Amino acid sequence: MGGALGSRDGAVSSLLLSGIVKRYGTQAVVDGLDFSIRSGEFVSLLGPSGCGKTTLLRIIAGLIACDAGRVVVGDTDVTKLPAHRRNIGVVFQSYALFPHLTVGENIAFGLKAHGVQGTELAAGVSQALKAVQLSALADRPISALSGGQQQRVAVARAIATRPRLILLDEPLSALDRKLRETMQIELRQMLRDAGMTAIFVTHDQEEALVMSDRIAVMNHGRIEQFDAPDTIYARPSTPFALNFVGLSSQWHGEVSRVSDTLLTVQTDCGTIDAPLAALPDATPGARVLVGVRPEMIEIKHLETSLAPLDAVPRNRLAVTVGETVFLGSRRLVYFQSQQVGANAVMAEVATNQSVATAPGDQLQLSWPVGHTLVYPMSASH
Amino acid sequence: MASTAHSATSRVAWLAIPGAGYLLLVFALPLALLLASSFQSEQGGFTWQGYTNFLSDPFNATVVWNTLKIAFIVTGLCLLIGYPTAFAMARTSLPVQGGMFLALILPLSVGVIVKSFAWTIILRSNGPINHILMSLGIVDDPVKLLFNERGLVIAAVHVFLPFMVLPIFTVARQIDSRMQEAAATLGATPVHTFLKVTWPLSLPGVVTGCAFVFSMAVSMYVIPALLIGDRYQTLPAMMARAYLFMRDRQAGSTMAVVLLLIAVFIVVASTLLTRRLQARTQAQGVAA
Repeated sequence: MGGALGSRDGAVSSLLLSGIVKRYGTQAVVDGLDFSIRSGEFVSLLGPSGCGKTTLLRIIAGLIACDAGRVVVGDTDVTKLPAHRRNIGVVFQSYALFPHLTVGENIAFGLKAHGVQGTELAAGVSQALKAVQLSALADRPISALSGGQQQRVAVARAIATRPRLILLDEPLSALDRKLRETMQIELRQMLRDAGMTAIFVTHDQEEALVMSDRIAVMNHGRIEQFDAPDTIYARPSTPFALNFVGLSSQWHGEVSRVSDTLLTVQTDCGTIDAPLAALPDATPGARVLVGVRPEMIEIKHLETSLAPLDAVPRNRLAVTVGETVFLGSRRLVYFQSQQVGANAVMAEVATNQSVATAPGDQLQLSWPVGHTLVYPMSASH
Repeated sequence: MASTAHSATSRVAWLAIPGAGYLLLVFALPLALLLASSFQSEQGGFTWQGYTNFLSDPFNATVVWNTLKIAFIVTGLCLLIGYPTAFAMARTSLPVQGGMFLALILPLSVGVIVKSFAWTIILRSNGPINHILMSLGIVDDPVKLLFNERGLVIAAVHVFLPFMVLPIFTVARQIDSRMQEAAATLGATPVHTFLKVTWPLSLPGVVTGCAFVFSMAVSMYVIPALLIGDRYQTLPAMMARAYLFMRDRQAGSTMAVVLLLIAVFIVVASTLLTRRLQARTQAQGVAA
């Protein structure tokens, strides 16, 4: 995107939120939230519905006022500015395209509102249309477009004014699965090419993992973890993050021994070792939650599992096969478990791996101790 | 596909028969008789007399002007008051919306005569409005609100307001409030948003409401009769006088035809306008 709009403050900006609070009645929807993203970053706000992510988005856009805290874009405090003076683009979940205007007129709307006219206006519109590959549809009415095309018009409309920041509120949720997967890649590419700082709200963990530079996992109006996707997946910092992103086997247990590098947890299904680094302040007797990602687990038939001679220490548990779910390239094997209140225990096995699993089979699970995740459990659990 | 669609359409067409038949009998037929009698001389032959008489009397021009002027003022005021009301109603919580609905609909069940008579009590020199104005010291002498255009307009706006609010409400309710938010995030001021988004999207409701109110205001008889009396002539009042007192069927019919033409012109024009707007606004269902 070029110089046609260089006259306005079109510089892509970083965002800083500090101490944001928003209450509805006595309920704090956003609860003292601090957050900052770098210029040009693509960040997802990931959380279940009602976690406050859309409210936060609307506070950043200026569509609702926060009760406390500051919103700083670049080096401008915009907390008190109304939405129309912030120059923050928004792509709405329902797109909110203007039905009485054509595709081109929709895109021209923001430019006109900023006082752009004549050839500059035409150039801005065609540039935005080119960015989303819809140049041929400029004169179509909105009603003549497919869902995916409407989505792209919404993006084009939002980037046409060269906003300092672009916010996307579950923009792909109205599309069918196939199109959604294509659009995830396309959308990220479009925004990268436009050099936008983007915040993407979603409840879809896969979408967040696919699209983001960093993911902020939100729960109860707070950010539980803010990290790169691979870190979020491999080292979720809270049980909520563990549960919300990806699958995991989980056991409740009690710390029985703490050594220099390891802690040992006694569970109903046997003892499980974990690196002490996963929970440095663990003390014997503490109630903990132990988890492991299913693809870390290896399964073997009991009779073939001989003495452990592994290079890396592994946890081993004897289990009985329950259900097997076929997922194409992988199988997900669930095991029978007597545990109450914890997640089902499961392993993910490549389909071409030849361990046959029938319900009732006795198997041995093992996984590297280093991949064991441990979380303290509050008394209420 | 085409044949099933066609037969479905023709079956649906039967549903229109009761309404169409009723209208034919009680509306189209009398209308034809009316039209005929406006061209009928006393001897029973064809004549342009009624129209030449009507058009040659400059007083009639004043009457038509008065009638149109009042109708336009009433329509304009109804729009001015009704538009924000309709949007407030569309955007408020359901219980409040229900209350507003009742406040709007219930007065319709009170007859126009009762309402007009009530207004004569409220507006008269020693009525509550003048009482309040004088006791607050805003005016020294009673404001003349009865037997002039002011009172007529006040009462007519009150009677016709629901017919402006309801069509606009119906359209306003369908306008996604994200439209206004989207406009704001694109840098549009509230005024710009109103002019370029809200107003065009609500136009179909505005046009329908204005057509309703205008055609009722241009033909109202009871309200002016009670609030102004004979001093101020409107077309419907003259028509009534021609029929009831002067027993001049031709003159009455002629005026009825003139009034009808005005009303038909307004309604047809506004319908065409709505059509054109809706052709562009079809997307609402998809985008909203």
